[in-house]
Amino acid sequence: MNSRHALLALLAGGLALAALPWLLSDFLLALALSCVMYAGLAVSWSMFCGPTNYLSLATAAFFGLGTYVTAWGAGALPYGLSVLAGGLVAAGFAALIGAAVLHLRGAYFAVITFGMGELVRHGITYYEKAFEGTVGRIIAEAPESTTVYWMVLLVSMGAVAAAVLVRDHRLGLALRGIGSDEERAQTLGVNARRSKIAAFALSAFFAGALGAAMAVRWTYIDPLTVFNPFIGFQTVLIAMVGGAQTILGPIASAVVFGLLTEFLRLQFPYLFLVILGFLLILLVLYLPGGIASLFERWRWRRGNV
Amino acid sequence: MGIVHFVRGAAAVALAAMAAVPALAQDVRIGYAISRSGPGAPGAQTSQEPNYIMWAEQVNAAGGLNVGGKKRKIELIGYDDRTDAETMLRTYEKLMTSDKVDLILPPWGTGLNFALMPLAQRHGYPMLSPTATGRKLLSLKNPYFFPLLQQPDVMMEALATFLKARGTKTAAVVHVDELFGLEQAAALEKAFKEKGIQIIEKKSYPFGVKDLQPVLRDIKAKEPGAFIALSYPPDTFLITAQSKALAFNPSAFYAAVGTAFPIYRDKMGAATVEGVMGLGTWNPKSGPAAKAYFDAHVARWKKEPDRWASAHCWAGLQILQQAVEKVGLDRKKIRDYIASTEFDTVIGKIRFKNGENVSTPGVVSQWQNGEFEVVWPPERATASSQFPKPGWN
Repeated sequence: MNSRHALLALLAGGLALAALPWLLSDFLLALALSCVMYAGLAVSWSMFCGPTNYLSLATAAFFGLGTYVTAWGAGALPYGLSVLAGGLVAAGFAALIGAAVLHLRGAYFAVITFGMGELVRHGITYYEKAFEGTVGRIIAEAPESTTVYWMVLLVSMGAVAAAVLVRDHRLGLALRGIGSDEERAQTLGVNARRSKIAAFALSAFFAGALGAAMAVRWTYIDPLTVFNPFIGFQTVLIAMVGGAQTILGPIASAVVFGLLTEFLRLQFPYLFLVILGFLLILLVLYLPGGIASLFERWRWRRGNV
Repeated sequence: MGIVHFVRGAAAVALAAMAAVPALAQDVRIGYAISRSGPGAPGAQTSQEPNYIMWAEQVNAAGGLNVGGKKRKIELIGYDDRTDAETMLRTYEKLMTSDKVDLILPPWGTGLNFALMPLAQRHGYPMLSPTATGRKLLSLKNPYFFPLLQQPDVMMEALATFLKARGTKTAAVVHVDELFGLEQAAALEKAFKEKGIQIIEKKSYPFGVKDLQPVLRDIKAKEPGAFIALSYPPDTFLITAQSKALAFNPSAFYAAVGTAFPIYRDKMGAATVEGVMGLGTWNPKSGPAAKAYFDAHVARWKKEPDRWASAHCWAGLQILQQAVEKVGLDRKKIRDYIASTEFDTVIGKIRFKNGENVSTPGVVSQWQNGEFEVVWPPERATASSQFPKPGWN
């Protein structure tokens, strides 16, 4: 599928999803919101980590930064602008940190990005305490839940569109080159450093914007709530289960994973984590390429017929 | 098209199963989400969910809730919120709008209670919250929110009065950088200033701190008359163990949240915690109702309830029950009744004024011979205080 077809499909899908508030109950809309949010997070994560084979655990940091931008701007910035600002602040932070740490690889990079989350959490805690005399902020005026849903949908669609464009253009090629052999890519004229920073910042933009968009749902923003490592790990898990090399994989995974987790949680309130863990082990054993490899298999089979 | 069919099929199955089967019409359906996993789980499973379950069992064993002269059993619907705000909100949206439960019980902790407040107000569900405290919560002026714990300034005022009466001149304070620690520290500074107790050292530390020895060593060198840690459970354990290791033994040693947990005594050793003071409200000697609650909890769960929030949680359930038996299941009427009535509970009388529990006083408790004795105020005391604190054992 070339870029134009993919973008048209995305537009059609987005329009269909935009109609959900009229079709679903409050609860199912909240479930759809969660699926769309994790689809956006997982796609933005895979945008950088998929082709380059880097493992970033910084999603929670970008997401949390975004929520704080909304909290800081509460009352002063309109909702749409806070979301944009949340994305820009996260992207700026990612570019700055990325310039310093993107030469690391493997476990070192993973550990340092996890440390970034802690750095942002403690940094914000310190700043708030020292200059504002508090750590938590109240967002008293929240938009309607349908507005939040549309905003999150818009940002997630933006993430998918960006992922498609990156994949099909020079930056995507450069990233894939870096993923398979960074030195060779550099020898062939790829500016590895600049490509990595650009993709890392772009991926952070969407995580930050999603954090900023979701913040208004939680009334009270404090470091423990918004730098919840759960959100970061869930994102990585969804992207990997889906297949981080693809775009459709993480989206399908966010939906399947979101619905399945919710189904198990509500049906087996005490056992669901055990069942979920077991399913994950099976998935890793028998579907190491992720959900996306199912598409590949199907395509391959059709080609043979 | 196999994958598409699979996804569609899975989604259909999941959605069908989520449209929960309605219970028998005559049951009173009470729903909640609570932390069974994630960072909130230890606290929620100590002070909160065991009480929810035991209350429903006790009411049902007695025939049920008396609604309009008819006994109706309670059906409790509880889910894990994974200590995640979004999961918690989604669960209550399901409970309130899809399942249309009769009543809700609140989630665990200040952050999650904050997040639930607007939803509870929109759908008109009263929240009797046992584990949320802070003036900031009250500043939202949410008419459906009734926090059961004492407010920080009330607790710190009691501590200051207690120490003043024992001639304390100087104090050192450490606090956790969280809403709780900051509000408590601000209230403590104000109360100490009024009582003329000088704070000679004040330090804060981040949540999740792993070592406080350097701070404690500095404080020990300054020889304060009282040491006050406005701490959360993990740091309460840490500060106790490290103060003992450094032989830092001021006349008054106070740590906030977690001292009231039986596991604090059991893990540190009853001899070690002898004389340690902390936040508490009650113990089995507080009265016959407290004794009955304590015994029932031990019989049901084979473990003791904590001496602070557990009984506040139980008191909230008692208030809910009294309100329902008085005005039925009309939630607006329940809210109005809670807001305007004085209730008899396991921790004494409770009355709410502008959402604040104005009846439960600030209490100082102290471990003595394996019991967390109430030592202040005198009308609630179950033992006289040990002052100065004995050495570490």
